[in-house]
Amino acid sequence: MLLVTHGFAQNRTITGTVTAKDDNLPIPGVSVKVTGSSTGTITDVNGRYSVKITSRATSITFSSVGFTTQVIPIGTSNTINVVLSSDNRQLGEVVVTALGINQQKRTLGYSQTTVKGETMTESSPIDMLGGVQGKVAGVTISEKGSTPGGSTSVIIRGYSSIGGVNQPLYVIDGVPLDNSRPNQNNYYDFGNNANDVDPNNIENISILKGSEATALYGTRGSSGVILITTKKGKAGKPKVDFSTSTTLTNAAITFTPQKEFGQGWSGSFILSENGDWGPKYDGVLRPWGPTGLGTGATIGLQQLLKPFSFIENNVSNAFDTGIELNNHIGISGGSETTTYNISYTNVNSNGILPGNYDLFKKNEFAVTVGTKYKNFDVSTSLNYTARTSSVPLSGNGNSTTLGNGFYGSLLQIPSDIPIKDLRDYKNLFFNTDNYFTPYAENPYYDLAENGAHYTTNHVFGNINMNYRLTDWVKLNFQQSADVSATYDKRWSNANNPAPGSWNAGNNVEGATRIADVGSDFEESWNTFEYDSKLQALFEKKISPSFTLNGILGANYNDRGFSWIQTYVTNLTIPSFYQINNSTVSPISYQNTSHRRLIGFYGQANLGYKDYLFLNVTGRNDVTSTLAPGHNSYFYPSASLSFILSQALGLKPSSGITFAKLRAAYGRTGSDTDPYRIYNTLTATNIPVTFGRLQFPLNNVAGYSVNNTLFNPSLQPEAIAETELGAELRFFDDRLSIDATYYNRTRKKQILEVPIAPSSGYATEVENFGTVRNRGLELTVGGTPVKTKDVQWDITYLYSMDRSLVEELPAGLDKVVINNFYDVNMVAVKGQPLGVFQAPIPLMENGHVVVNSTGIPVIDPNNVGDYGSIQPQFHMGLTNNVRVKDFTLGFTIDYQQGGKFYSNSAYLLSFVGANPETVYNDRNVFIVPNSVQANGTDANGKPVYVENSTPINHSNYYSYYNLSDNPAMAYRNIILTRTFVKLREVTLGYNLPKAFVNRIGISNAKVSVFGRNLYTWLPASNHIVDPEVGNLGSDLAGAFGEDASGPPLRYYGARLNVSF
Amino acid sequence: MKKNFIKSIILSALFLSVGCKKITDINVSPNNPSLSAATPEVLFPSAVASTAARVGGELNILGSFWSQYYTQSTIANQYRNIDSYNITRYDLNADYNELFSGALEDYQLAITNAKANKQWGFVLMSTVMKAYTYEVLVDLYDQVPYTQAFQGASNIQPVFDKGHDIYVALLKEIDDALAQNYSVPLSSSDASTDLIFGGDMKKWAEFAHTLELKMYLRMVNAYPADAQAGVAKLYANPDFLSVDAGLNIFINTPNKDNPFYEYNIRSLNVTTNIRASYTFVSFLTITQDPRMASYFGTSKPTSINQGDYLNTNTALGSAASPVQKPTDPVWFISAAESHFLQAEALVRYPSINGGTTAKAQYMAGVEASFIDNGLAASDADNFMNNSTNDKVNWDISTNKIRTIIYQKWVSFAQGCHALEGFFDQERTGYPEISDVYSSSPLYTEDTRVTPSVNHAGQWVYSLNGVTPNKMFPKRIPFPSSEVDRNKNTPTAVPITTPVWWGLTAQ
Repeated sequence: MLLVTHGFAQNRTITGTVTAKDDNLPIPGVSVKVTGSSTGTITDVNGRYSVKITSRATSITFSSVGFTTQVIPIGTSNTINVVLSSDNRQLGEVVVTALGINQQKRTLGYSQTTVKGETMTESSPIDMLGGVQGKVAGVTISEKGSTPGGSTSVIIRGYSSIGGVNQPLYVIDGVPLDNSRPNQNNYYDFGNNANDVDPNNIENISILKGSEATALYGTRGSSGVILITTKKGKAGKPKVDFSTSTTLTNAAITFTPQKEFGQGWSGSFILSENGDWGPKYDGVLRPWGPTGLGTGATIGLQQLLKPFSFIENNVSNAFDTGIELNNHIGISGGSETTTYNISYTNVNSNGILPGNYDLFKKNEFAVTVGTKYKNFDVSTSLNYTARTSSVPLSGNGNSTTLGNGFYGSLLQIPSDIPIKDLRDYKNLFFNTDNYFTPYAENPYYDLAENGAHYTTNHVFGNINMNYRLTDWVKLNFQQSADVSATYDKRWSNANNPAPGSWNAGNNVEGATRIADVGSDFEESWNTFEYDSKLQALFEKKISPSFTLNGILGANYNDRGFSWIQTYVTNLTIPSFYQINNSTVSPISYQNTSHRRLIGFYGQANLGYKDYLFLNVTGRNDVTSTLAPGHNSYFYPSASLSFILSQALGLKPSSGITFAKLRAAYGRTGSDTDPYRIYNTLTATNIPVTFGRLQFPLNNVAGYSVNNTLFNPSLQPEAIAETELGAELRFFDDRLSIDATYYNRTRKKQILEVPIAPSSGYATEVENFGTVRNRGLELTVGGTPVKTKDVQWDITYLYSMDRSLVEELPAGLDKVVINNFYDVNMVAVKGQPLGVFQAPIPLMENGHVVVNSTGIPVIDPNNVGDYGSIQPQFHMGLTNNVRVKDFTLGFTIDYQQGGKFYSNSAYLLSFVGANPETVYNDRNVFIVPNSVQANGTDANGKPVYVENSTPINHSNYYSYYNLSDNPAMAYRNIILTRTFVKLREVTLGYNLPKAFVNRIGISNAKVSVFGRNLYTWLPASNHIVDPEVGNLGSDLAGAFGEDASGPPLRYYGARLNVSF
Repeated sequence: MKKNFIKSIILSALFLSVGCKKITDINVSPNNPSLSAATPEVLFPSAVASTAARVGGELNILGSFWSQYYTQSTIANQYRNIDSYNITRYDLNADYNELFSGALEDYQLAITNAKANKQWGFVLMSTVMKAYTYEVLVDLYDQVPYTQAFQGASNIQPVFDKGHDIYVALLKEIDDALAQNYSVPLSSSDASTDLIFGGDMKKWAEFAHTLELKMYLRMVNAYPADAQAGVAKLYANPDFLSVDAGLNIFINTPNKDNPFYEYNIRSLNVTTNIRASYTFVSFLTITQDPRMASYFGTSKPTSINQGDYLNTNTALGSAASPVQKPTDPVWFISAAESHFLQAEALVRYPSINGGTTAKAQYMAGVEASFIDNGLAASDADNFMNNSTNDKVNWDISTNKIRTIIYQKWVSFAQGCHALEGFFDQERTGYPEISDVYSSSPLYTEDTRVTPSVNHAGQWVYSLNGVTPNKMFPKRIPFPSSEVDRNKNTPTAVPITTPVWWGLTAQ
C-alpha cells in the first residue's frame, strides 16, 4: 500500500488465468476491468488475460455472464489467478441453437425448449421422444402404432404444410438425420429412423419451434428442428453408467362393443355370420361354429355349444402382456486433452400380440472421441444402430394377395364368441376350413401366417474440427454422413377352404370364402445423406457496452435413396416364401431419388450492456429440386431479446427475479421433392378398382402420360413467422412463466393438387395456397415447496394452434388431402387445415328426404362439414416431488377437440358391434322428420309426402352401413380427438451414497414407472384411441386410422448405477 | 492469418457457386421416361388397355346390373349401390378418371405425335379408340369436356360440351382420319402394338365405319334426319365389321387377366357377389336359348329377382353366378353388335341399299353371338328357325326393331360390354319395362289381359331401388373428381333423366 500511495503513474502489467470453480477449466471471454476505470480486456481461449494498470488502480473486476462477479484487490503480485463460481440465477442456461451454436438462453429472441436426457429416460421408452410426451408446450408427440418400435409422429405448432413435411428436422450432433419411413401406406409400421437415436445416450435435446429459430436450417427446418446433443466424455477417471429396465406392456384401451345383441344378421341368429345383428342375448345355450364337423367314422358328430351372452373383456383378453428389456452401458472419461464416451444399448421387446409375431430388437453403439492440440480441436462421433423387427399386418387388409390383418379380423367377431378360444387356429373348429364365418378369417391365423420381417443397419456420425484463429475468430468444419440399409420381407400364406368344408360353401348360408392366394414381397431401401459445413464463428466485444458474435458459413447437402421391391402372388407351395415359388411372374418396382442443396448463411448477434440482444440471420439456398431460375432463394430473420429486469436494475427483493421480453420475425424458404419439374411417362399400370391391369401385355410395352402434371416454374415455399414472448420469474425463481404468441404464414405451398381429370391429368404440382397458423404457448412452473429434504415442482403447459387456409389455387375452393370412402379431408378456404367433408342427407323444407326403402338420400349438391383435425387446445401437467432420496413424478396430458376418421368405427358399425347401433332397441323405426317422394308435379319434380316406410329388421343394419346410408353413417365414424391420459408416473429412490459408495458405486437409483397408464375418452368415442393411426405420420395420416390396433400401456422398473 | 481465412471462405464460395450448375443439375427423373419418349407405339396399347380395363371392368358391372343380366347376391354386399340405383357423385369416379387422364389423354397425344410423323395408321387407330371411349363417357354422363379437354396446366377447369356436339366432332375426327392414306402397312413391330387387329388397317376402317353407324343410330330419337343422312352416307360404300373388335389377349395371371375377372373374382374377398338375375334368366328360359349354359354354367340356373338382395331365403345363397374366366375377352364392338346395327339400319331405312337384307344381318348377329359363346352358327339357325317366340324368330316377328334389340341385349352378356344393353334400352325402350315385379305370378302369366301374356325378359324396377317414383336410372351423376375440382361442371341432374339421345317417354 505504501508503494501505491507514493508511486506516481507507475504502470505495470498484471496477468493471470481465470478458471471455473465447477470444473477447473479456463473460462474464455471473461471481462477483466480495472475497477472504476475504462481500462480492461477479456480472457483468451485459455482463460488468460493481461491487463496494464496504473498505480491508481486498486482492484480488478472479473465478470462473465453466468458467473458471480468478483472484485479482487490488487496486491503486490503481478499475477492474479481467479476462480469464478457459477451464478445460476444470472446464467439461466446455455442452450444449443441452430447449427449447434451454444448461446445463452437470455440472448435468444425466440422460444426454445431444452429437455434433459434424464427426463427422456425416466420411463425407459425405447423410442427417442416417448418420454417427452405432454412435457413441451406446442409439441404434439404421438406413438402411432401398437407394436414395439412403431413410428412416432411429432408435430410442432400444428400442421401448416398441406402437401409437404410437417415433421421436424432431427439434427444429431450437427448431423441431419433422414427420418423417412418406408411403406407407410402398406399397413406395416416399421418405425421411423429418428427412433434409432438412443435416448440413453442423449445429453439433452433442444427444440426449436419458430422460423426465426430454425432459419439457418432453411428448407428442412421449416417445420421445426429437434437438436440432439449426445453425451460426451469429461476429463477424469473412467465413469461407468449402467442402466437396466424391464417394462411390461398391454393394450391401453380397447373398443367397447354394444352388449345387448349377439351373433346374426337382420335380427336372426345365423351361425356363419360375422355380425352382431342377431337377436337379444338370452343366455341360452346355443351352438356356435361349424355344424356337422367330422360326420361319419372319424370323430363323430361334434358341435360347439356356449351360452348366447355377451362376453366381458373379450377384446382385451385377445391380447397378451408384452415385455421390453432395455439395457444400457456407457463408459466415459479422458484426459485434459482427450475425452471419450462409449455407449451401448440393447433393446429386446415382444409386443402384446400372442406369440412371437411382434418382436423388436435393437442394438445401438455410439462412440464419441474428442481431442485438442493448441488452437485446434477435433471430435468425432459414430453411431451404429441395428434394428430388426417382426411386424404384423395392421388395418383391415382384406385382400387376397396381402392377406388380412389381425385387428381387422378381430373387429368382425360377434361379442358372444370367445376370441381367446380362437388362438388355436389349427384346431378343427377354428382352422381356415371351419372358422365360424366365411366372411372373415381367424385373427390368430392372420397373425401367424401373414407378417413381415424388417432389418435395418443405420450408421451416422460426423467429424468436427475447430481451429481458433484469433481470440475472437474460430473456424469450424464438419462433415457428416448418415447411411442406412434396410431390407424387409412381407408375406401372406396361401389357403383355400377344403372342398365340402364349412367355409367352402357348406355353411348355413352357402357362402364361400375366397382362397388366399398368398404372396411374398421382398423390398430393399437404402438411404444416404452427406452434409458438409464450413463456418467461421466470431465473438468480439466491440466496446464496453457492445458485444458482437457472428457466423459466416456454407453448407452442402447431398442425399437420396434407392428403393426396389419385387413381389409375387399365388404361392405354389404354401408357407414357403420365395419369389420363385409361383407360376406367376414376379413384379418389380424401383425408385431412386437424389437431391442436393448448397446454402450460404450468416448470423450476427449484437449485445448491448448484457440486457438487449439483437440477432440477425440470413441464408441463401440453391436447390437441385426446383427449376433453374427459381432454385436460388434468400431468407432473413431477426430477433430481439430485452432483459427488462436487468435494464431496470430490478433487485430480487422486488419479487421479480427475471423478466425478459422477446420479439422475432423470421422467414424460411422450402424446396420440394426431386423430379417434379419435367413431365414424364409411366409404365402403364391401370387400377381396376380391385386389382389392376399392368403392362407388358401380350409382350407389348405400354407407357402412359404421367397422371401428375409437373411444373417447370415451381418456386420455393415461403414461410414467414412473427413471434412475441415473455419469460418471467418471481420469488427466487419459485414461480416462472414463459408465454409465446406466434403467427406463421406459409405461402406458395408446393402441392400435388387434384385437378379435373378432363384436363388430361389427375393432379398438378403447383405453388399455391397460403395457410396461416396462430397460436399460443404457455408454460407455468412453480416450486410450492422447497426445503433441504422436500421439493415439489409443478409445470403446467397450455398450447393452442389455429390454422386457417387463406388461399387456394386457380379458383379451386378446396383441395383434397386424403380420403376414404366418401369422406374427404380437405383444405377449404377460410377454414382450418384438414376439414372433414362427407355426405349429408338431402333436406326438403327442413325434412330429411328418404328413398323408397326409408333410408335418407344424400344431398347431391352439398357436402357436410364434420369438423376439422385441429384440436382446440392441449394441456399438460407435470408434478415432481422429491422427499429426501425419493422422487415421484407424474404427467397428465389432455387434448380437447378435433376430429378423426375411424375405419374401426366403420367396421364395428357394419357388423353391429358399435354401441351406436342399438338405437330404438333395434326395433322398427321411421327416420324422424322424414319425407318421401310420391309422384311428380306438373313440372316433373317429385312431390314429397310424409315418410311411412320404416327401417325394418332386414335393412336395419343398412342404416349404419356407409355404402347403404352414406347420408347418416359418417356421424358414427368421424370421432373426436379428445383424450385425457395419465401419461407418465415415475417413482424413484436414490440409494444412500454412504451405502453404495462402500461397494464402489457413486450413484444408484431404482425406479418404477408407467406410461399411458390411464386413458379417458369421451362418451362419443367407444372405439379407438385418437393418437393411434396407420395412415402415416404426417398431415395425410392425421386423417385417422384403419383398424389400427390399440395403443400400449407401459409399466416397469429401472435401475441406474454409476461407478 | 485473417486474410487467409477470408480468402479461403471466398474461394470455397466461388468453388461452390461455379459448381452449382452441375451440382444441382440432377433433377431429371431416373425413374420415368421423359415425355419425348411418348411415341404412338407405347401410348396406343396403353390407352387401349385403359379403355378395356374400365369399360370392360367396373362399367361392365354397372352395365350388367342395369341391363338386368345380373343382380346382387343375398349374402354379400359389394354392388348393392349399383343394384339399388343408389349411385352418387362419389361412385364410379375411377372409371371417369382413368378414361380421361389415362385413356383419352394418351390417345390424344398419340394422335398428335402420329400426325406429326405422318403415321396415319396410328392416327386412325387412335382416333377410332378415342371416339369409342368418348362415346361411352357421353352416353353415361350426357355432357363431358371436349373442346377444352387435355389442355393440362393451361386449362384445369375445362367447360363441358353438349353430348351431341361431341358426337358431331368425333364423327368428323373419324372421317378426317379415314381421309388420310392409312393403308401403308405398319412395320411388324408397330403392328404388334395393335392389340386389337395386329395392324390390319382394313379391319380398322371397318371398325371406324361400324362405330359411326352406331353413333348415327344413337341419334334416331334426338336428330332423326341427321341419323338417316349419316347412315345413308355410310351405306354409300358399306364396309362394316364382321369380326369382334376388342381385346382378346388376357391370360390367367394376376394383373394380366380380364379386368372384370381381375376385379370381381381374383381381387375381391367374396367372389360370388354377382348372381343371375331372374329378368335375364326368365327370357333365356322362355326362348330356350342354348346360350344359358355358357352364361351361367347350367341350363337351369337358380336366379334372384332383380335387386332382391335383402331376401333372407337361404336357398338363394346358392343362386348361379355368371361364368367368368380370366381369359375372357373385352369387346368394344362385337361382330354380333355390328350385324345387329346393320340389321337395325336396314329396317329403319328401307331405302338404303346395303347389298344385304335386315334378316340376313339379324341372323348373322345371332350366329356371331353363338360362336362367341362357343356354340355353332348352325345352333343359332336352329334356335331362330324353330322358335315360336317373336323376339327370336325373325319371320314371325311383328316388331323387327324389338326382335333385334332383344337378341342384341342377349348378346351383350358376353364380351364385357354390357353397358350397351343398358344404352340400347334407353334409346329404343327394349326390353320393355314390366309393370309388375318379377316375383309376381303376373310376370310369367299376366291374366289381366286376354289372352294372357308373359313378361319374361321385360325389365323390372329393382326391388330395393332408391330413385323416386320407381324411375329407372338413365345416366350417372357427374363424378366428384370433376364436381369438386372444376367449377364449370354443370349442375347435377337426377340419374333418372335420360341423356340427350334417350327416349324421353317410356
